[in-house]
Amino acid sequence: MLPTIEVQNVSKKYRIGKAPLSLRSLVNFRNQKNQYHWAVKEVDFSLYPGQALGIIGPNGAGKTTILKLLSKVTFPSSGKINMNGRFSALIELGAGFHPELTGRENIFLNGTILGMRKQEIQTRFDEIVDFAGIGKFLDTPVKRYSSGMYARLGFSVAAHIDPDILLVDEVLAVGDMAFQKKCYDRMVDLIKKGTTLIFVSHNMRAIQKVCSECIVMYRGNPAFQGPTADATAEYSNILREAATTYNDIGENISDGIGQRIMTHAAVINNVELLRENQQTAYTFESGESVSVRFRVDFHEEAPHPIFACMIRTPDGQKVYDYTTEWAQISTPNFEANSSRLIEFKLKLNLAPGTYQLGVNMAYHDLSKYYDRIDRALDFVMTSNTGSRGITDLQAVFNILPNPTE
Amino acid sequence: MTETKLHQNQTSLFYKDLLFAWTSRILKARYQQSVLGGFWAILQPLATVLIFTTVFSFFLKVDTGDIPYIVFSYTAMVPWILFSSSINDMVESIVQNMNLVSKIYFPREILVVSALLARVVDFFIAYIILIILMIIFKIQIQLVVWLFLPVIILVELAFALGIGLIASALNAFYRDIRHLFVLLLQLWLYATPIIYPVSFVPEKWQFLYQLNPMVGIIEAYRSVMLHSSLPGTSFLVSALIAVIVLIIGYLFFKKVEVQFADII
Repeated sequence: MLPTIEVQNVSKKYRIGKAPLSLRSLVNFRNQKNQYHWAVKEVDFSLYPGQALGIIGPNGAGKTTILKLLSKVTFPSSGKINMNGRFSALIELGAGFHPELTGRENIFLNGTILGMRKQEIQTRFDEIVDFAGIGKFLDTPVKRYSSGMYARLGFSVAAHIDPDILLVDEVLAVGDMAFQKKCYDRMVDLIKKGTTLIFVSHNMRAIQKVCSECIVMYRGNPAFQGPTADATAEYSNILREAATTYNDIGENISDGIGQRIMTHAAVINNVELLRENQQTAYTFESGESVSVRFRVDFHEEAPHPIFACMIRTPDGQKVYDYTTEWAQISTPNFEANSSRLIEFKLKLNLAPGTYQLGVNMAYHDLSKYYDRIDRALDFVMTSNTGSRGITDLQAVFNILPNPTE
Repeated sequence: MTETKLHQNQTSLFYKDLLFAWTSRILKARYQQSVLGGFWAILQPLATVLIFTTVFSFFLKVDTGDIPYIVFSYTAMVPWILFSSSINDMVESIVQNMNLVSKIYFPREILVVSALLARVVDFFIAYIILIILMIIFKIQIQLVVWLFLPVIILVELAFALGIGLIASALNAFYRDIRHLFVLLLQLWLYATPIIYPVSFVPEKWQFLYQLNPMVGIIEAYRSVMLHSSLPGTSFLVSALIAVIVLIIGYLFFKKVEVQFADII
């Protein structure tokens, strides 16, 4: 049997710096040195009908570039991609929707953009409308739709293409839970029918639902490839490795992964997350108590600096931010050429998912930072308590007797 | 080595439906919220021609033979507006849809061709008025010669598309191109016999003047519609140039389209 997707040693580089958008930059081209960034390096896999591959990794790991390469929006710098079969890419919901056009008109428009014939759309039209649940608003311009309706219609069209190969980006984050479940079910259905599926996400739970195989991407490299069950553990291993190498680099770093601003008057080193048993870890159970610990080397005297730690989601949303200033803790005067260990004890009441830990140290008057690492390390939260979102408020569910009885 | 193989189902023919869907999207979006709708397709050339008619019939007399000036210039103005407005639309077609281009694969020339086709619809609506004008001014209508009209339209479309393909691709890299074309088309209008007859151009400049392919095309419209005669040799030259420009445009577009998604 022929594989439906064959990806052989594919790499993709992008030019860094400003794209030549005006003639002026064309005239000055001699002054520009082209620098390249490898968005994806040496990715290699084959998939057969009915197989589903998950691609997971933090932001900037090259997941979306792989999807773009597979959907032929962009082309590899080296390597070879073979696709045997009709493919459909669910990269943007409602691609080509025009706000002035009605739901009905947009179904045909979106369907043809995704590669369906007009008659195919006609035969599936009722199914599409039914799945999206927009029956009443079929002849209303989509500019009057709620964002949920818009997304539902977009997914519904794409999911009814019946492709040999389906590429899905993290578009399912939209919509309510019932609709999300419907989408996952639809994907599983398609796989059973023999569709080859590639699903990209930074959410391990979502990938576990549909994919048996998984590639973990980190900084453009496939860091792990194998069964999804093993990938979870590997993912946190990779995050740990990445965190150690990250700390080793030391100097001013601005590589898109995390930005570091420092003065060299005092330097943060060896940021670690420790369990209660004092072991470093990168995967925690929701509600676990941990210590954020790092060493500060003071090269100059630091009078009463302010220490801070913060936690963000991969989208950059701040989940938690704590500074000694806000807590009204007065820090001592640190002498030049000394070192100290700084510790924050935290209770990680976080919902399952990936998070980023940042730490920094600022001058007592907040005029600037001694050292600031926005993304010192990434860690993964798991939970059996059923919480979703970003925090785990540790709900306790009860059914109480009616007080009037 | 880089190689990308497309599945047979996903060839250009397969995207015929997309071409029509995208063209009708442009048309619907253009006229959806306007009261006069498709009537604007008539108003624009008519208003332009009325202005020139006022100027050239009352203030500066232009000799157009036995054809009234308004019919003389309207016959040429409608094809000219097809040419200029379609090029202006095509230039923008890739950049305006960058969010699609950077995310979904489909042959990119569909965006360009749709922009052109949407203007062809306007062209036919506006040409109906010409027939009404010809009846009002009692100009002899020779239906047999009109059979040549589709050939002229195709030559004009080929020429416009060739330019549109080159310009839209360049505009993706250098946004200056669209401004350049607005200016260029303004000048081009005066370098083409739209509002004046070819005989206005001095003999010694005629050869240079005829190198403008639009001269042969516009004159062909006039001879078929107004003089009931077949287009002259200058039209053949225009047709040849048009085909060459289209081939070059298509090859150029196909060569650079792979970079569109990488340059946002």
